[in-house]
Amino acid sequence: MTVPILQVRDLRTQFLTDGGIVTAVDGISFDLNPGETLGIVGESGSGKSITALSILRLVPDPGKIVGGEVLFRNEDLLQIADDDIREIRGRDIAMIFQDPQSSLNPVLTTGYQIDEAMLAHGKSKREAHQRTLELLKKVRIPAAESRIKDFPHQLSGGMRQRAMIAMGLSNAPQILIADEPTTALDVTVQAQILELLADLNRELGTAIIMITHNMGVVAGLCSRVIVMYAGQIVEQGPVDQIFEDPQHPYTWSLLKSIPRVDAVRHERLRSIEGIAPDLLRPPTGCRFHPRCPFRIEKCYTDEPTLKEVAPNDMAACWVTMDRARKDMNADELVDIRPGAGSHYRRGELV
Amino acid sequence: MLVRVEQVVKHFPAGLGQSVKAVDGVSFEIREGETLGLVGESGCGKSTLARLVTQLIPVTSGKIFLGDVELTRLRGEKLRQQRRQLQMIFQDPFASLDPRMTVGDIVAEPLDNFGVMRGRKRSERVQELLRIVGLNPNFNNRYPHEFSGGQRQRIGIARALALNPKLVVCDEAISALDVSIQAQIVNLLEDLQQKLKLTYLFIAHDLSVVRHISDRVMVMYLGKIVEVADSVGTYSDPKHPYTKALLSAIPVPDPKIQRGRRLVELSGEIPSPIHPPSGCRFHTRCPIARVPTPCAETEPPLEEKVRDHLAACHFSQDV
Repeated sequence: MTVPILQVRDLRTQFLTDGGIVTAVDGISFDLNPGETLGIVGESGSGKSITALSILRLVPDPGKIVGGEVLFRNEDLLQIADDDIREIRGRDIAMIFQDPQSSLNPVLTTGYQIDEAMLAHGKSKREAHQRTLELLKKVRIPAAESRIKDFPHQLSGGMRQRAMIAMGLSNAPQILIADEPTTALDVTVQAQILELLADLNRELGTAIIMITHNMGVVAGLCSRVIVMYAGQIVEQGPVDQIFEDPQHPYTWSLLKSIPRVDAVRHERLRSIEGIAPDLLRPPTGCRFHPRCPFRIEKCYTDEPTLKEVAPNDMAACWVTMDRARKDMNADELVDIRPGAGSHYRRGELV
Repeated sequence: MLVRVEQVVKHFPAGLGQSVKAVDGVSFEIREGETLGLVGESGCGKSTLARLVTQLIPVTSGKIFLGDVELTRLRGEKLRQQRRQLQMIFQDPFASLDPRMTVGDIVAEPLDNFGVMRGRKRSERVQELLRIVGLNPNFNNRYPHEFSGGQRQRIGIARALALNPKLVVCDEAISALDVSIQAQIVNLLEDLQQKLKLTYLFIAHDLSVVRHISDRVMVMYLGKIVEVADSVGTYSDPKHPYTKALLSAIPVPDPKIQRGRRLVELSGEIPSPIHPPSGCRFHTRCPIARVPTPCAETEPPLEEKVRDHLAACHFSQDV
């Protein structure tokens, strides 16, 4: 049995807004095993980025972590002193972000900024400098010796993201959290960055948490996936299983709503009706029920919890796709309405 | 043939007597009732091309025809009248709707601009337009901020359809939306095309969406069209190494397939459109280029390689 290096337990993060309290992350729990590649997918507002930020206590104001535990090496990262979490950030758990442009300081050279990440954790200047050069080569920046002196604006988007990854890896962290690292990049560059991350994971054994909205990215890089909706985990399991036979109607619909470049014939996309719920007033019962084609009466009132619905597959659903297929003709369900859909906004039927 | 583009060039001044060759000698046709997809990475000139086709910006040289009318010769009122046939849907549903106008006024603005309808007829038309894009027709008095991204994009579509255009140019029309909402809009565009016999020029960087919605797909690289084919041919049998690389880079949401796919890696970066490479513009990154002869010396013409499948490559048989 592998011992997880990171255990998230019942994490809750809230934002106090003018309209009231928004619970962006609402009681989520998961484990990360050493050397694992874990994908967290979801659409905007699902809470995937806030989950990542909460792990390192980087939630921006007015956000607040209000409950739960993040256990790393038998310590609760949510309880330790500010100085201690600062030690862990960048050294044991590093993070890279979507926009490498705004993550780098424009008036300092890229090399210096990578040095800095190591100086902060006790390396000497000379050591740091040497390692920066090594790292830039490792993330395949061509002519690293001269690029090390470049300012961020002299690098392309892909190169900047490589530099960010080099910075993330500089202290040989056990965990790298990547928050939509390829979303701002062109597809050919995205593919290169994903290959790089996969190689680094294999070579160095760094565990990766990949936050993304792109199911294809998860399919290529991750071994396990967590699907989030409206601040909660709706399904989790090994990628092979979740992609082949998803049990939560949201996961199922999401996979059917993306056109595939390798499709052999034109099939109408399955759109998910309505829009994501307003977290100021989340729906009662299952949060997905207003948009779910397979809802039953119980879904309106009772909140489902994650349970094993198939071997290795945890889903929070009263119905599950096995039953929807058997009793509700799920596979024949085709959207025939124009552009599909009644639209919900703040609970009213539009 | 609805639109014919002949040797169109668009250069933007870049100071010091230099120019950005955003679109550099492009010819193609858009057939009536089809969806022509246009893909390429950032900076390839696809959005500039969209603006040229709709004549929002003038060409540097070349000709664009809408039916028998040469748009590039028209100015002022005559061009304005032609624009009724050419409408555009934009990427950002937040920036492309005036926050101080009601949805009804936004959708009716094209009608007002051309003085087509007034009074009751106008409001009936607005309600009809809202209905066909799947919005509640009684929402004409609401403001854009009251709607979600997907709904705003529907408003943008309703506005584009107000004057019964022949060609609708969708410039990254779904790129800013969440996946589940993208599917709603793609399906809506497909339904509207059938119902209203529309022709689309559908521009996006996401080849899987473009392929899904398009009858034919056109691939651009650094201001040039490198390949045009029906959407099946582009994928199953690409004739240009750039198309092949682009396809290999798109992740497929199926772990078993995705793990077995091989990435065609392109060396280096996209060159500057101020000083594009000699000969074939792709030769600096091409995995099969023969340098210097012919790839760095002779520009390959965009020609038919197999029936209805055009590519600009000296060695398309080796792709």
